[in-house]
Amino acid sequence: MNIKYNKNNWFPAGFKSSLILVLVALQFSCNNFLDVEPQGQEPSRTFFQSEDDAMKAVNAMYANLHAWNIIAMAPLAVEGMTSGDVDKGSDAGDVAYLNNFIRFTVSSTSGQVNAYWTGKYQEINLCNQVLDSVPQIDMKEDLKARLLAEAKFIRAYSYFKLVRAFGGVPLRLHTINPDNTSAYNIPRTSKDSVYMQIEKDLTEAAGVLPEQYGAADLGRVTKGAALALHAKVELYLENWDQAYALSKQVIDLGIYHLFPNYEQQFRIQNENNSGSVFEIQCGIVPGNGAASNSQYAQIRGPRAIPAPYNGWGVGVPNQHLMDSYEEGDPRLDASILFKGETTPEGDLIPESATNPRYIQKTYIPFGTRDKYAQYTYGAQQNKRVIRYAEVLLINAEAANELGNSQEALTNLNKVRERARGDNTNVLPDITETGKEALRKIIWHERHVELALEGDHFFDLVRQGRAAEVLGPQGFTTGKNEVMPIPQQEIDNSGGILTQNPGYN
Amino acid sequence: MKNNLRTTESGTLVCLFRQSNHSAPGRSFLKILLYMKFTLLLLCLSFLQSYGKVFSQDIPVSLNMKNSNISRVLSKIEKKTDYRFLYNVKEIGEAEKVDARFENVKLEDVLNHLMAHTGLSYTLLSDKLIVIAPKNKELFIHEVSGTVTDSSGNPLVGVSIHVKGTSLGAVTDANGNFTLQVEDSAVLVVSYLGFQTKEISVGDQTNLEITLSSASTELNQVVVVGYGTQRKIDVTGAVGQVNGEDISKQASVNAASALQGKVAGVTVINSGSPGSSPQVNIRGVGTVYGSSNPLYIVDGVWYNDISFLNPQDIASMSVLKDASSQSIYGIRAANGVILITTKKGKEGELTINYNGYVGFQQATNKVNMANAQQYASLLNQKLDSTVIDPGIDHSTNWYDVILQPALVHSHEISARGGTEKGTYSLSLGYLDQEGIVKGNDYQRITGRFSNDWQLKPALKIGYNLTMYGFQSDDIPMSAVYQSYVAPPVVPVKNPDGSYGDAADYPTGNFSNPQATLDFYNQITKGVRLTGNVYLDLHFLQHFTFHTSFGGEYGENEIRNYAPAYNATSVQHRDVSVLTKRRDETRNWIVENTLTYDNTFDDAHHLKVLIGQTAQRYKNGFITGTAENVPGEDEGQFYLDLGDIDTRTVDDGGDLFTTMSYFGRINYSYADRYLFMFSMRADGSSKFPPGNRWGYFPAVGAGWVISGESFMQNQNIFDFLKLRGSWGKIGNASIPTNITNVLINNQPQFTAIFGADQLPHTGASITALVPPTLVWERGVGTNVGLEMQFLDSRLHFTTNFYNRETKHAIFDIQIPETLGTSPNSLLGNNADFLNRGFEFILGWQNDASKKFHYSLNGNFSINHNEVRSISTGDVPLYSGALPVGGFFTTRTVTGQPIGQFYGLVVDGIFQDADEIAQSVQPNAQPGDFKYKDVNEDGTINDKDRVVLGNAHPKYTYGLSTYWQYGNFDLQVDFQGVFGVDIYNGNTNTRYGNENYTEQFYKKRWHGPGTSNTYPAPRLNGENLKPNSWYVWDGSYFRIRNIQLGYTLPESLLSRWNMKQVRFYINAQNPFNFFSYNGFSPEIGAPSSGANKGNPTDAGIDRQVYPMYATYNFGVNISF
Repeated sequence: MNIKYNKNNWFPAGFKSSLILVLVALQFSCNNFLDVEPQGQEPSRTFFQSEDDAMKAVNAMYANLHAWNIIAMAPLAVEGMTSGDVDKGSDAGDVAYLNNFIRFTVSSTSGQVNAYWTGKYQEINLCNQVLDSVPQIDMKEDLKARLLAEAKFIRAYSYFKLVRAFGGVPLRLHTINPDNTSAYNIPRTSKDSVYMQIEKDLTEAAGVLPEQYGAADLGRVTKGAALALHAKVELYLENWDQAYALSKQVIDLGIYHLFPNYEQQFRIQNENNSGSVFEIQCGIVPGNGAASNSQYAQIRGPRAIPAPYNGWGVGVPNQHLMDSYEEGDPRLDASILFKGETTPEGDLIPESATNPRYIQKTYIPFGTRDKYAQYTYGAQQNKRVIRYAEVLLINAEAANELGNSQEALTNLNKVRERARGDNTNVLPDITETGKEALRKIIWHERHVELALEGDHFFDLVRQGRAAEVLGPQGFTTGKNEVMPIPQQEIDNSGGILTQNPGYN
Repeated sequence: MKNNLRTTESGTLVCLFRQSNHSAPGRSFLKILLYMKFTLLLLCLSFLQSYGKVFSQDIPVSLNMKNSNISRVLSKIEKKTDYRFLYNVKEIGEAEKVDARFENVKLEDVLNHLMAHTGLSYTLLSDKLIVIAPKNKELFIHEVSGTVTDSSGNPLVGVSIHVKGTSLGAVTDANGNFTLQVEDSAVLVVSYLGFQTKEISVGDQTNLEITLSSASTELNQVVVVGYGTQRKIDVTGAVGQVNGEDISKQASVNAASALQGKVAGVTVINSGSPGSSPQVNIRGVGTVYGSSNPLYIVDGVWYNDISFLNPQDIASMSVLKDASSQSIYGIRAANGVILITTKKGKEGELTINYNGYVGFQQATNKVNMANAQQYASLLNQKLDSTVIDPGIDHSTNWYDVILQPALVHSHEISARGGTEKGTYSLSLGYLDQEGIVKGNDYQRITGRFSNDWQLKPALKIGYNLTMYGFQSDDIPMSAVYQSYVAPPVVPVKNPDGSYGDAADYPTGNFSNPQATLDFYNQITKGVRLTGNVYLDLHFLQHFTFHTSFGGEYGENEIRNYAPAYNATSVQHRDVSVLTKRRDETRNWIVENTLTYDNTFDDAHHLKVLIGQTAQRYKNGFITGTAENVPGEDEGQFYLDLGDIDTRTVDDGGDLFTTMSYFGRINYSYADRYLFMFSMRADGSSKFPPGNRWGYFPAVGAGWVISGESFMQNQNIFDFLKLRGSWGKIGNASIPTNITNVLINNQPQFTAIFGADQLPHTGASITALVPPTLVWERGVGTNVGLEMQFLDSRLHFTTNFYNRETKHAIFDIQIPETLGTSPNSLLGNNADFLNRGFEFILGWQNDASKKFHYSLNGNFSINHNEVRSISTGDVPLYSGALPVGGFFTTRTVTGQPIGQFYGLVVDGIFQDADEIAQSVQPNAQPGDFKYKDVNEDGTINDKDRVVLGNAHPKYTYGLSTYWQYGNFDLQVDFQGVFGVDIYNGNTNTRYGNENYTEQFYKKRWHGPGTSNTYPAPRLNGENLKPNSWYVWDGSYFRIRNIQLGYTLPESLLSRWNMKQVRFYINAQNPFNFFSYNGFSPEIGAPSSGANKGNPTDAGIDRQVYPMYATYNFGVNISF
């Protein structure tokens, strides 16, 4: 109560009306005032409208193949550490979680298992974005068909990795509408159904994809890649007819040739050579560190050698792998980098390196490093996903199973011949025609030719030899054939996802 | 309606003055047609001293009034002459109406004429004062004198004594004495601020000894509430207030820290890095998406953070705790509201204050890490071989290497004063604070200016302006984490001067923390200009229109230079990179309110407020980088000097607006029955048009029971009030345009094709956005009881509150199989409630000359419970840890939000036999033995149980104040219990991270050595979330000790100074807790994807030590 003003009638003329005006003016502008355009963000409604958008979405799908979870530690853990061919590497006690893969004590709360799972599904989402949205875009039909085929290949590739590692997994073939909450949680699809989808995608992809691209598009998936991956899928399904037929189709394309030098085929300057059917394209984009970040080579690089040439030294070849090679097989030295060794490029791996051996297939010559020293070490190293040698070996294995040992020997010996190089004293041609004996020989050849490339564990499982070879390491039959489903996925699903047997 | 008191210069007399209300039936006041002027007071004086005067002047009076009430006639005369009348309305009202038609008649004759026609007579008391009374009434007046003292016998100066029903009165002099001329029948009303009012019948007494008992000063306090102030007695909600004096006593760098332990229900979690703001939670976890901080409103302008504010500039802080008080700020009230008023100039002579302190901060309660020898033993045990010689002859304590006692000094000088026409306040502050990590420092300059001008009696304008500038030398927080994990076997530097390298020992990819600090070069600078201008217009006696325009302009620049260097095998860079980021903020708020304030019949008090505000927030940043910038000195840090083909630029921004209308009605009857209703409507641009507006009503009611007549005869309660309130509040702290599906064109999506490896830009859609998002609402009720006992020396307040958060917005994890990135979805994911009691108990003794003390304690109980979750029966899991990414918390209906969830550790496996008999055949000796809860013969996810609760159940604080002579001592305690912590640091292990010394001492290292701590081999099954990682998070802390000495006045007056006080102060000097981490104050993550997510609270992922602060300070005013 303000007595002060009792006697005061001072009052600006027209005050009331101006007050009302102010309020009315504010009222009036109110609705427009709340309509604010998003800042620095492109709403999705502008996306998937043009050919350019379709290209971009496909680019993202390829680029993501070198994401950490897809190319680096998780595949090394799930596919590599379980192979029996490597020790953990690095310093004693470092990255100790990898020992759980070596000893088959991995649990459902393993970060690497979760990363493996997550990485694959993120890739699948990028594929599904393309497959769901690109068909509606008004663009060149043949290009559209090709882009869709590329997406189908990469989706199939991702599901193949998942089904091999986990058995049946939730099968997502479309992006989801966020309103459709029931689609958030879906159960595991049976292993057979997942494989059927992979086969379908690869068949469709192979029907559309070109055999080769122009120089500018080198690195995209080809018809040969789709056929080769399909052949590999059939190999794991032991559908010998199909594995044989598909691998034969690849061979008959006549565009693939074994690169003459086994060791050099993995070097950066020999990327996308005629002996490489599909590679994940990694590289350095100056000014774009985020795109120049593949750690595929870095984590495998030799450890504790003078910076900046040093890697982490994880997953180092062990004695078991050394012993697997035939006497004098040049692939031993080509695949394993020894402490104290001087490489063909003239780099000395010093005695001060932490571990006795490293993986040579991802070796980055020091000179290559210097050029882009500020970017992730070895970011240029492409990952060879399917090599022609593997196609030959798939064909050989299938042919042998189908009773065609002669054809099997032809392709098998092509691989050995290349491995032999100019040293005619080693790796003699195989002449064995007994099915059982030849099968073992082909298995062996597959092991050493493709050593450290991520298939051996799954081969051992497929061949029924996992317990025999990996038992001493801790492999338990009926359990360790597959990885556990990540516990957080089971938690998130409210129990709709079920755990693999033997895991808790 | 309050009595206005004015004293004469002699201090012996007073006229009391009430505004009359002629329409008040049955009320009888002696009306004084006097306005408060000293001259008139002097008239009173002379009247009482010399009884019976004659008209000194004969002024001719002209009147032309017909059939008028005599009071109106007298009033007219007053306007025309200098004379004033004293009369009793009731008595005069009984007199009949008169005709008064005079033309230039002497006043004496006029009065004679009027009196002749009524039953009244007049007496001229002084030159200008005339008493009108019924003719038959005789006045028996005698002099009474007396002394007023407090209960300890100390005389009270300036106590008002007035004769009930009259305007007559006096005030006590310096000795507590007064003298009055009164009628025998008079009743004296003795009142004094801070004491209980007393009534005394005079009778024939001539000498009175009056003792007053103190009343709680709190009741007389005015508290700041939303868009206004209220007397504390009128408040129907729960509001806690801390005054500026309490804040400035604490020598806090950030004012929000000063609330800790001071206001019941407020939890303050301090951050250790200089310049950063503490996290403040009000009454448990509210909802914290986006901003975990309450809304700070400084002089009407809204802020998320008040680090720009010098605590010394604060006059008061009000914490609005219940929904009904907060609801007037609907849109942003979900985390509570803290209203801050800054110090203004006061009418009176210039006062200059200097407040300064110097002190240091020091890490406290550090966790001892294992030394080199212990580390070697642990590693060798873990790896089952001698990797490192346990006899290693050197050891590095990395925390000792990177930490320092941090010097802090602060100076603030202010000048305040003013006249009736205007007031001014100027202050300048400077703070220089080192961080407890070496190389970290922060300097802040604050300038605050305010002016208020009373342009016209009804028009006031003014402004507040704060200028703030800071600069900090930053450190990478990673250095602290690196110190936690770095092997102690690595030296800081080798004998040859090179950095110690973990690769030489070899233990893994560990950084040398010293090298991290040495090669980090970042400076952050910022300026901010913020404030408001306002206009207050009073009109039509009861209306006030207030308009204010406030704003904020801020600019920050971060300059980071990463040099080319080669320190260790994992710390090297071939090419230098300069990064510059500039942030700009431009916000404004406009606010218009109209208040109607009136009292009817002296009992019905009505206050109505309507208002409208609009706000716009815009911020943006631009970042540029370049490689190969020379970087020898600051002058070279320009992107222009870098390689041209390496330059990159990036920018971003945000813009959102809100529009609001609100209103409030406060009604009270006879100060006993209180009622409040308010409503707010908020529109936010952040929500899609259909869901844009939210409506937030609130009601409150109060009953001052002690004001009832039936309470007048009891001696227990000096004050008793019951109040209740209900309100709704909202949360709009969600990202702008959250429901837009956005294109992800991150640079990682650049594909490489072709023989020439050319980049191809990529883009896709990777995130799932919430289909619809509705306003999150809080609905709260609060019931409070306030009591005072023992002459109001003891006061007790209790609140019961129940606050339901509906449609709480936070992220939940969605299946990874959706392939989204991030794999979370923002949504209205839960309804939960916080329910609890607060108890506030205070005691203050009677102020005596020498010794005075007060004790104020508060205690809160909070219960958190989830009512429903968006996934129905499927629990929400959260709290993923870095290693494994597995969940540590679970949220289900009917339980507290984000409970720790995992396996139960039932000991440690001692040997193979024990393992063989267990359900964990793959275990090794030294591993955790888990409890098979469901007894199915295996340990799996079905064996998980609730392991603890991250949200404090009980919080308490005790402030004590002691004063003896010129010494003052303040000791504050504070603590929480009934809370758990998940030690996420213990199991964040990738390899050979260091261990704590405690782990070394307690670990299992052979059969029988430990059944509580595992072997150092913490991986595999041992990493599964389990009870071993869950610790009791209770703590008790001596928060503040301050000893002050004020120089005696005799000395000061000689120096012409008002006050000089020195103090020493220690903050957080003693902390007691059993938790084995660095600090038991965890809260929800303050950064990262799960920032502020209540399902992710209480998980310790930080290894930054707490710190104690020791200061010496001085307050000077002259």
